[in-house]
Parts: sequence; structure tokens; C-alpha cells
Amino acid sequence: MDPIIHIENIHKHFGKIHALRGVGLDVHKGEAVVIIGPSGSGKSTLLRCINRLEEYEAGRIVVDGIPLDSAQNINAVRREVGMVFQSFNLFAHLTVMENLTLAQRIVRKRSKDESEKVALDLLEKVGIPDKAQAYPIQISGGQQQRVAIARALAMNPKVMLFDEPTSALDPEMIKEVLDVMLALAKEGMTMVVISHEMGFARAAANRMILLDEGMIIEESTPDKFLTSNNERIRIFLSKVLHM
Amino acid sequence: MDEQPKLKPSGSKLAYIPGAEIVGRIDPWWGLVILVVGLTVILVTVKADPFWDITKFVWDGVLVTALITISSFALTLVVGLIGGLGRLARNPFLHGIATLYVEIVRGIPLLVQLIWWYFAFPVVIQQIGEWLHISVIANYVANPILTAIMAITVCYGAYMSEIYRAGIQSIPKGQIEAARSLGMSHFQSMRHIILPQAVRVVLPPVGNEFIALLKDSCLVSVVAVADLTRRGRLYMAVHFNPIEVWTMVALLYLVMTLFAARGVAWIEKKSHFER
Repeated sequence: MDPIIHIENIHKHFGKIHALRGVGLDVHKGEAVVIIGPSGSGKSTLLRCINRLEEYEAGRIVVDGIPLDSAQNINAVRREVGMVFQSFNLFAHLTVMENLTLAQRIVRKRSKDESEKVALDLLEKVGIPDKAQAYPIQISGGQQQRVAIARALAMNPKVMLFDEPTSALDPEMIKEVLDVMLALAKEGMTMVVISHEMGFARAAANRMILLDEGMIIEESTPDKFLTSNNERIRIFLSKVLHM
Repeated sequence: MDEQPKLKPSGSKLAYIPGAEIVGRIDPWWGLVILVVGLTVILVTVKADPFWDITKFVWDGVLVTALITISSFALTLVVGLIGGLGRLARNPFLHGIATLYVEIVRGIPLLVQLIWWYFAFPVVIQQIGEWLHISVIANYVANPILTAIMAITVCYGAYMSEIYRAGIQSIPKGQIEAARSLGMSHFQSMRHIILPQAVRVVLPPVGNEFIALLKDSCLVSVVAVADLTRRGRLYMAVHFNPIEVWTMVALLYLVMTLFAARGVAWIEKKSHFER
């Protein structure tokens, strides 16, 4: 079966910095892949290349059979790929409900009633149906991030990308977000997650990847990964686990 | 632990002043409006000659000033949006045009621009008309009020472009990234996500521009537009009572700007994010 995300030999520069040096990766339907790596290793950049928030100079990315090469295709891919950001990025001038329904209506062309029904079901699923009429500023960080996940899910994406979804959260709110993500992984959602939450990785990931200096250093199952003898993995894990 | 000093309202120990609570409930800025309007009304009624006489004479000018201010401000909002988006355009041509416009217009005093549009521009048009042998164009005569509105719009549009640009740039990049990652087009993201937020950010400076424009509109009096200032000068030329005329003109401007400022504050309050 063809992978749902196919990444081939991606190169990306930021000025003189060679951020991605020939990264290749395949993600199959239903897989959860957790990417870890030190800051500046290129993991966010790689994730953002998948829905072309970041452009790349060389290489090829195909998502669900659509190559990321024209403006039309990029929009088509973005409709199929949900993205969750470190800083939530909820639309500040809209209520939670409007955050969830806007793109459904203007991109998916759903009716108001239909989009609101989808939104309420999802808010139920992420555990905050009572906040539908709140504005983002009125709810906690953990709640905002759950709304952001629901907002992405409302578009019925085939793939979900998570860019350090819990690193801007207070410790007591991390679990409520990870629980939602774990449930999503158990349902078989295809996910690519940048996270240093090793408990989550062990419970949810099919594969773990260590990225450093723009290259994939190691790629294996969480069990093998977390007990690896590879020097760089051990050094990195020791830093992460002592955070 | 030491007892914290009690934060009692300092007025609580003052003697009771009858009616004080009513005064306290009035927004101090509305108080100023009432004061100025009251003073104007008192002058006009108690000393009708010359104040009521002046007011009647310059009233046409008040209407012209209001007309010029409101129409050029409305046009400025449109020009500013186009200019601001142009300044942010990735297309080097659009960006270049918008930047050139802003830089040139910002560098020339409004008075000089008004004079140019009124005295030089028509001659340019006439000469083009003669050259093309089209008599309608060759006999072009500038309409003072339309020319004034155009000149002010061109000038304030440049300032407004910069305000819009700053407002749009102040919206965090994550907002547009979130919109685009949901599949919205660039236009949809601008229309539904960026501009509604930017408008709230730019309201205070845009309100300032409105009041500044209202005051600067008096410059049109030099190009034969019978606005409030020019009407005041005409009255002065006949009756020669500078203290009364210019006090009255100043008061009328002040009444207009104070009401405008209250209006701006009201709109700002209305459009704030719900919290």
C-alpha cells in the first residue's frame, strides 16, 4: 500500500543554515509517528513542510497521492491535513464555536447547522462542550489546545500534524491534551507528532524518529528506541527525561 | 505578618457634598463636551450680537467642513486599505507603487499638495486637452470642494496605508498559518481572520486620523473653499472683530472634535473583544 505521507530527500535552507539535509520518511495510514530531537534540529521545519507552511528547495513530498507542487494541490493537501500548533493559534476574535465552524463553512461548504453539529460533537469528544460560546482568551491553555485539535478534526483530515502541542502548557494541563491525542491515535488516526513526552510516545507511537542537524539519526519502535544503545539517542533521552 | 494598609477610597472621610455622586457618575470627557457646548450656547444666547450673528454667517462653513471631512475620511479608509495591502504585497511591482506613493505624499506638506492640486493640476489637464484637441478637457475648471476632497484623500490615504500596514503586521503570524492550514485561501484568511483583528488594532490611530483630518481640513480655506475657517475670515473682513470671530470659530471646531473624539471612543469600546 502506498504511504499516506511520502517524503523524499528534502533539503531546506534558512539563509546559510542547512535546516533539512535530505530527509526521507514514509508514514502509512493509521500510523502514529513521534519525532524527537534537540531544538534547531529541523523537526518543526520538517513537519511544516508536509502542509507547505514552509517551502523547501529540493526533494518531493506526496500526501494522499497529491504531490505538493502547485498552489491548487497545496490547498488540496491542506484540506486533508490537520495541524496543531505549539501556541494554539485559535482565532482570537471568534468564539470557540466560530473557530470550529468557520473553515467548515467556507472551505468544506457545509451549512451552518451541519458545521455546528460537527463542532458540538467534537467539543464533546475533547471534553469541553460547555465552552462553545467562550472566546479563546477566556479559557485555559489546555482547553485552548483541545479546541485547536477539535478545530483541525472538524475538517475530517486524513492526517494530523502536532507541532510540540504541549510545550507551551502548564504541567497540570499537559495530560488533558495528551489524553485527547492518545484517544485519537487509538482510533487509528494517522499522526505525526513532535513531542518530548516519552510516556505519550510509548503509549501511542508506532515509530519514533530522532532528528538532529537536519538528518534522521534513528528510526525504530518506541521499545527499541527507548532502550537503544545508540550514544546520541541515550544522550538526548537523558536530557529529555531529566527535564 | 503585618496587617496590610487598608485601601479605603480616600474620599470616604471627606465631608458629604450634595449631588457629588451624580457628578462622579459623569464620564469626565463628556463633562468637557458639556462644558464647551454650554459655553458656546451661553455666548450665543447671552451675547447674540455678535456671536449668534457670527454663527449664522459661518454655519455654511461648518457644513462644508463636515462634508469635506466625512467624505475624504471615508475615501481615505478605502485608499488606506489598498495602500496598506500594497505595502505588504509580495509582488515587487505592487509593493513598489505603494511604497512610492506613501514616501512621496508623506514628504510634501498638505498645504502645498492642496495648492498643487488646485492651481497646477488643472493647468496640466488643460494643456493635455489642448494637445489632444479635446475642448472639454482643455476647458477643465477645478471644482474647489471636489479638488479639496481629492487632495486630502491622497494625502491622508498615505498615512492611513501605514496605519493599516502596521495593524495587519501586528497580527501574529500563527493566525494566518492556522487559517491556511485549515485550507483557507490567502484571500479568505485575510477577509475572515486577519482584517477583522487588524481593524480592532487600528481603530485608535484611525480615530486620531479622523480628528486630525477634521482640523487639517481648514487648510482648504486657502484654495477658495468656503469652509468654516474661510467663512470666519470673510466675516472678519467685514466686521473686523477678531476676538469674537476667531473665538467662535475655535469653539465650533472644538465642539466638532470633542464630539468626534467621543464617537471614536464609543466605537472602540463597542468593537473590543468580548472578555
